[in-house]
Amino acid sequence: MPPIVCSAQASYKKLPGLLELTDSYLQWTKAGDKAPVVKVPHAEAASLSRSKVGAPQVRLKIGLLSDEAGHNFTFTSPQPVALAERDKFEAELTNIIARNRAGALQTVPAPTKAFQAATPATPAPTTPAHGSALGTPMRPPSSRPSMSRAVSVASDARASGTPVGGDATTDFRLRKKVLLSNPELAQLHRELVMGGHISENEFWEGREHLLLAQAAAENQKRGKPGQLVDPRPTSVDGEVKIVITPQLVHDIFEEFPIVARAYSDNVPAKLSEAEFWSRYFQSRLFNAHRASIRSSAAQHVVKDDPIFDKYLEKDDDELEPRRLREERVDTFIDLGATSVDHEETGNERDITMQAGKQKAVLPLIRKFNEHSTRLLDTALGGPAAKRRRIDDGEPEHYAQLDLEDLHDNQASSGIVLDMQDRQRYFDGRANGAGNGDDGVHVDFREALQQSKASTEGWSSNLAQLRIERKAGDAALVSMTQNVASRLDVKQRKHDIPEGLFRQMTTCQTAANEFLRQFWLAIYPPGNESQALSTATPAQKAAKAAKMIGYLGKTHEKVEALVGAAHREGVDPARVQVAMKPILDAVNKAQDFWRLKNAKAPGAR
Amino acid sequence: MDKPSHLSVVIDLSLTQWTLCAQSTNPPGITLQDFLSQLLAFLNAHIACKDENTLAVFGAFPGQSVMLYSSTGEVTTTTAESTDANTYRPFRTLDSTIMSSIAERLDSYDGMTEEAPIGLVGCLTKALCYINRTITTALSSSQGGEGAAASVDPRILVLSVSPDQSSTYIPIMNSIFSAQKLKVTIDVGKIFGAENVFLQQAAHLTGGAYVQVERADALLQYMMMSFLPAPAIRQLISVPTQDRVDFRAACFCHKRIVEVGFVCSVCLSIFCQPVPVCSTCRTKFPMKTLQRLRDARPLAAPPGNAPPRPPVQKNGTTTPARPG
Repeated sequence: MPPIVCSAQASYKKLPGLLELTDSYLQWTKAGDKAPVVKVPHAEAASLSRSKVGAPQVRLKIGLLSDEAGHNFTFTSPQPVALAERDKFEAELTNIIARNRAGALQTVPAPTKAFQAATPATPAPTTPAHGSALGTPMRPPSSRPSMSRAVSVASDARASGTPVGGDATTDFRLRKKVLLSNPELAQLHRELVMGGHISENEFWEGREHLLLAQAAAENQKRGKPGQLVDPRPTSVDGEVKIVITPQLVHDIFEEFPIVARAYSDNVPAKLSEAEFWSRYFQSRLFNAHRASIRSSAAQHVVKDDPIFDKYLEKDDDELEPRRLREERVDTFIDLGATSVDHEETGNERDITMQAGKQKAVLPLIRKFNEHSTRLLDTALGGPAAKRRRIDDGEPEHYAQLDLEDLHDNQASSGIVLDMQDRQRYFDGRANGAGNGDDGVHVDFREALQQSKASTEGWSSNLAQLRIERKAGDAALVSMTQNVASRLDVKQRKHDIPEGLFRQMTTCQTAANEFLRQFWLAIYPPGNESQALSTATPAQKAAKAAKMIGYLGKTHEKVEALVGAAHREGVDPARVQVAMKPILDAVNKAQDFWRLKNAKAPGAR
Repeated sequence: MDKPSHLSVVIDLSLTQWTLCAQSTNPPGITLQDFLSQLLAFLNAHIACKDENTLAVFGAFPGQSVMLYSSTGEVTTTTAESTDANTYRPFRTLDSTIMSSIAERLDSYDGMTEEAPIGLVGCLTKALCYINRTITTALSSSQGGEGAAASVDPRILVLSVSPDQSSTYIPIMNSIFSAQKLKVTIDVGKIFGAENVFLQQAAHLTGGAYVQVERADALLQYMMMSFLPAPAIRQLISVPTQDRVDFRAACFCHKRIVEVGFVCSVCLSIFCQPVPVCSTCRTKFPMKTLQRLRDARPLAAPPGNAPPRPPVQKNGTTTPARPG
């Protein structure tokens, strides 16, 4: 019998019985029955609602992942006891649901209207209270899940089975996303991990940075869009359609407060919502709000509309915009403060944008400006927040004038680099092969005499110039070969058949992965965080041994590939040359392993 | 080849090396006489290719670098040239100027006993300056036409028989960078002697051809095939070159060539084993890093018995280059 967390008398579908919450299930047994009628595993719990405080019946409703309606339970004990019991159930179930949400990131289902119910429990405020068992700091905020992402991920999580806990599910989800976005990695993962060669954790051991990058990318929230809200109707079969989403409605209200006012005035009193929108999009008001002055094509379909025309405003094309910018200018740079001193000689008053060729452009420009101002305010936190007046004394005033751009460039003195023994370095470079002295000493004067003799009689030498045929041919052949081989490499088409090529690729990537695991086990960890990894030296040694075993098979695999190439008519030498680098790497690892084990055991 | 091309030839005239080359038989060598004849034939061919082609020849003598001939006529010789009815006049001028310049220069060595290192770097820089001047005058004369480099296709050919000189490393690298800026291709013909790493890099970095001449007695064949085509048509006429360039560096502690090493993160100096203090910038590395690196070098001898110093942190770490 699993331990019972809490239990209460409750009726379900008007039948009395016992409601119990155990470690893994929520179950309800009818009175007198042995087996529970309703048995809900923890993972299925999705939402919770209860009846209003003060209602005669104390009810609790559990929504499930699969079934929105879920189960309703009415607590049948006397009122105060029932309330206490229900609260207890509610607390536990909230906990469970929050855990589920952390794993599956579900959309919050709309509160059902069956009860005048309180809001469903939101996971975010309760998790700090029930904190300990729950998710890592990497868990993305569940307060504002975006619709589409949640649907796909939830289906993934469900498909993969019951999530164990917050940590593992987050990891799993991140891994899945990384694999989905990187098909080569996915293939490697499929072969090695599904094939059972490497465990899942080992596979991800060197690749945490990928997971971190994915988590960081998910954590970022998209800001407000920079474009003006301009829903363009699509014409479908002659009928003009606009899709109205709640997000669009919200944006329109924010962009054009007039519309919000019109909405609040007219809905639901005079117009229904659907009617409101359809008439709005056909009215002059909407036309005035469009983000392009070229929409004159729509002019002819615009009809007069008694309701919406009331909200029409005059176009914003006066000298000054209708909504002036409110900005408090800093006293130090406020020219207006001393303008009375310069009335005769000072500057003209500034007048903002004047209309150029097209007067109709001006309202549009002003609309863009207002939109941008609004964007910046949301991003930077409002105009008022930027200026904090600190009126305490001289240093602060001076600090306002001290702009960093005006500071002088200070050249840093730098570290003096002084290579030891510089001359020897270049000697080392020049005599790279280490040939040193020829050992043949030539007398300079003799050489001089010979050279002088060479320069005399040059014209007759030139006239008698002959090149030996064989030497010339040999030279020609060698140069031609040089050119030919280089061109051949460039031009040769890749004609290894697809199947063989894929086998070669998989052999190489698998060997690379084994090598990576091997060296990861051998070398000390790269940085501090990795030093805390879980493997003990004995485990590492075991892992290294295992990898060496796999690597030993690589030679045979390459042999098999060469044989296959021969059968398929491809030149086996090419396959050998292609696989040579990986064989070299495998040999190096094997040599190192032999050397290490050849030392007296316990020396390292 | 619709653009005139300019060729600057730098001839390595290290007399001792030429003597060795003449005596060598295993890679068949070539005497200075034959070399000069074949060189003259090649230069004549370059002039013949196109009327507007220009040529400048520099000689890298022991201890000095001299311009032997230039088609703009800067070099004048004292010996009068004899006219020969059987030879094309421009060829004759070219050949005689070069030979008489060489002879004059050789006279200046009469008293010496030891050979100074050749002035290869001086020749390279003079060639680059000459090319730069040619380009600038071409630019100023063409009234706002195409870009200067488009009107002249410059290249430098270095014919070398001597090994690398270590003291010339920095100047040669500087010349290479200037050549890159000027879009000058540097070709190298290695006639005799060991591989010349600096010139290999010069050819590689400027997109030129490095040719190791195996049959020196057929030198003219090599020159015609590899060095005659102008850079502009090298996409059509592929010239042979040596692809393998030795990029390895030497470690700063022992001056040994290393392939895998440790690099200081502050000044990028290379070491073959982890050191506690960088010798160039004197940055101290944390002890823990050193321990870790020493442990990570599997085949090295176990670390010495020096007790670890208290770690003094400055902004230094080393990053090992991992094998495999």
